[in-house]
Amino acid sequence: MLVDLLQNTLDGLMLGSAYALLALGFTLIFGVLRRANLAYGPAIMLGAYAATWVHLQFHPGVLVLAAVTIAGATLAGAYVERLCFAPHGRRGAGDAGAIASMVGSFALWMQLEEAATLWLPKHLYGFPPLYDGPPLGLGPLTLRVEYLAMLVCATLVCFGLHRLLNRTRFGLAVRAVVDQADAARLAGINVPRVFMLVFALASALGGLAGYLIVAAHEQVTPMLGMWSTLKGMIAMMLGGLGSLPGAVVGGLALGLIESHSQWLFGPQYRDLIAFLILFALLAVRPSGLWAMLRRSPAPAP
Amino acid sequence: MDEYALGVLTNVGLFSFLALSAYLLLVAGEMSFGQQAFFGVGAYAAGIGTAMWGWPLPVAALAAMALGAAAAWLVGLPTLRLRGLYFAMATLAAAEMFRILFELFHYQRTIDGELVGPDGTQGFRGIRWVLERGIEQETFLAAVWALVLLVLGAFALVERTRLGATLRMVGEDPELAAVLGVNVARVKLGVAAAAGALAALGGALYAHHNTYVEPRNFDIMLGVHSLAYALIGGLGTALGPLLGVALDIGLLESTRVFQGYRMIVFGGLVALLLIVRPRGLLDELTVNRVAAALRRRRTA
Amino acid sequence: MSEAVLEISDVVTAYGKIEALKGVTLSVARGSITCLLGPNGAGKTTLMMTASGILRPRRGSIRFGGAEIAGRAPHDIVARGIALVPENRLVFPHMTVTENLAAGAYQRDDKGAIAEDIARLFTRFPNLKERAAQDAGTLSGGEQQMLAVARALMSRPKLLLMDEPSLGLAPLIVEEIFRIIAELNRDGTTIFLVEQNAHMALKVAHHFYLIEQGRVTFSGSPGALAEDEVIRRAYLGSVRH
Repeated sequence: MLVDLLQNTLDGLMLGSAYALLALGFTLIFGVLRRANLAYGPAIMLGAYAATWVHLQFHPGVLVLAAVTIAGATLAGAYVERLCFAPHGRRGAGDAGAIASMVGSFALWMQLEEAATLWLPKHLYGFPPLYDGPPLGLGPLTLRVEYLAMLVCATLVCFGLHRLLNRTRFGLAVRAVVDQADAARLAGINVPRVFMLVFALASALGGLAGYLIVAAHEQVTPMLGMWSTLKGMIAMMLGGLGSLPGAVVGGLALGLIESHSQWLFGPQYRDLIAFLILFALLAVRPSGLWAMLRRSPAPAP
Repeated sequence: MDEYALGVLTNVGLFSFLALSAYLLLVAGEMSFGQQAFFGVGAYAAGIGTAMWGWPLPVAALAAMALGAAAAWLVGLPTLRLRGLYFAMATLAAAEMFRILFELFHYQRTIDGELVGPDGTQGFRGIRWVLERGIEQETFLAAVWALVLLVLGAFALVERTRLGATLRMVGEDPELAAVLGVNVARVKLGVAAAAGALAALGGALYAHHNTYVEPRNFDIMLGVHSLAYALIGGLGTALGPLLGVALDIGLLESTRVFQGYRMIVFGGLVALLLIVRPRGLLDELTVNRVAAALRRRRTA
Repeated sequence: MSEAVLEISDVVTAYGKIEALKGVTLSVARGSITCLLGPNGAGKTTLMMTASGILRPRRGSIRFGGAEIAGRAPHDIVARGIALVPENRLVFPHMTVTENLAAGAYQRDDKGAIAEDIARLFTRFPNLKERAAQDAGTLSGGEQQMLAVARALMSRPKLLLMDEPSLGLAPLIVEEIFRIIAELNRDGTTIFLVEQNAHMALKVAHHFYLIEQGRVTFSGSPGALAEDEVIRRAYLGSVRH
């Protein structure tokens, strides 16, 4: 019993790391640009499909595939940013701009998904694993290497992001834009360019998450697009909208909820419980788990 | 009229109910990713009514609308104080819960030697009330569109009344509305219930058109599409969401020119359109301008 | 008369259908302290926001050092040597005082000189130095105003725009601010200042403009301003200065 609990917790944390990475990317866009990018997952999917194509043609190594996934996701993300976010990101675009960007990103979601399935039409493609060996043993627990890689990557990304935001000039610019956008403009910060670069970073993080996920599952399907966006959004909401630490907390929480629910109630109830918890959280404490952990009062969303 | 065209026109009508449902909430200032849940509730409820309990379709449809309104009211009660993406995510979560519940819902009866009723992920077959009465496709199409026009008429009437103005004010400036004495929470709940009923009506008709529904029909894609139809068509008039539906289902799905590339074309067009028209095609500004021009012509 | 560093010609800025600036023409002489007076809603802040690039004018020209800057992006205008100390200070509330200053120097590469500038500003504004690691949002109104001025100075601007620097501040602090304005000007910075508080402005400014309902209605020296009956009563009260 205890072993099961520990194993599920371990699995949940690993799975949660992938969700955390997805959530970080989604949250960067939401936190800095204050916009929801519905094409986030599809851009990741395009990167994964590009890597699948490269794999089918050339069978390169793991690093190449990871690089292709990240590059593909970043390029697709740049396309989305230029077409849907830059035009509606001007000062004073307000709520209407946010909605226009979101609907535009929905339109490109459809577009990118169709492009990917036209490129590689099958419902399932095999994807080479990250590590071709048995899982590690940790006493009575098993640890899959791919999942461990997710946890390690997520941790590294967190540290990296923290350094970027707090120790670099670019990070200062990002924090300034988030804190007070007009003051940032007056300080000489090129706000549209900051938005573009943050978007690229978010897409790249999504690409990394996407690679780790398809390598862990050893398959790529057309569902990857919507699935990634959904997990990213849910994790972000669970943790607390727009907060990077919140994204991590939300991702880990989602992973834990899913793995324990699946163990206790079976796969059908797993998603039901996750959505129920999300719904309840939004109804009661929309500021999310991170704010709850820090015991701050619930602000009006 | 050939069967394919009939089917397309009927679908445009059926999904208009969904788009109008999302539109109604948008006018009241809330963005819902979850109206498809009530579409599904309507489909299942009406199906059970006619195929399993022997009710006539109009009665089943009314019951479906009531159930849809109740479900929407329940979802709205804890969530309508949320705005923006918070509310959108809450409705998405609720809708997915409904969909999963449909997957877990088994209720079958043997009728005329056949097993009829919702069977979890296998769906709900045998909703044949329309077929059994020999109702022609054209008649059904006419009925659907008659109802759509009725709804549009009702919307147009409400737009002219104080209720319509109150709704739009609640959507645009809820603080101002509250200061002027409007019970914003109650108005939003009422709108949510009405939107739920509308979606449920569409679902009821949809179930009887297809004779078969499954939980997969009522997924997130449907919900996001419905919202998008309303936003692309424009919020200036109830014709906006209809335009959105017509453009996607009517124009693109049916024209075989774009076979296989439909979303690439549609997606690209929409993104470009939004650059020029961020508030949709028939947005408030356009509608006001057209209305003013019509008024001028009338008095000239 | 020294040449004009900033020439604003017939600028029209609108919010939707409402024209806040209906054709503003004025110029700021190099090395001067030029003051724009006017009542609330006259368009003073709109003019400052237009000159700094936050707002785009619908018509008209703004020339800085001979080059056209109307409609350019704010970061471009900062690069050319203009810095705005905005109305309501607009500090970065969740960043420390030091980070606020560093942000002001965003476009500069010269790390050494930036550090020197920060040190120099801390000398000039000792209470900012005390609060260097504090979040700017926790500072008092007066301290935030000092911070906003200091941040603008970090870009080493040739022209400093100031939007109502005395707003909401205690008289002692207001005097301090104007002392700093005079000092900065002596050290070579041209200052274009918007104010409601004409008393203090009269003590430092070389030239005055008056803006009312989106148009410039007066241009003249401090003496001419003080002499004009109408203006005196509206902005200075009945006491002669």
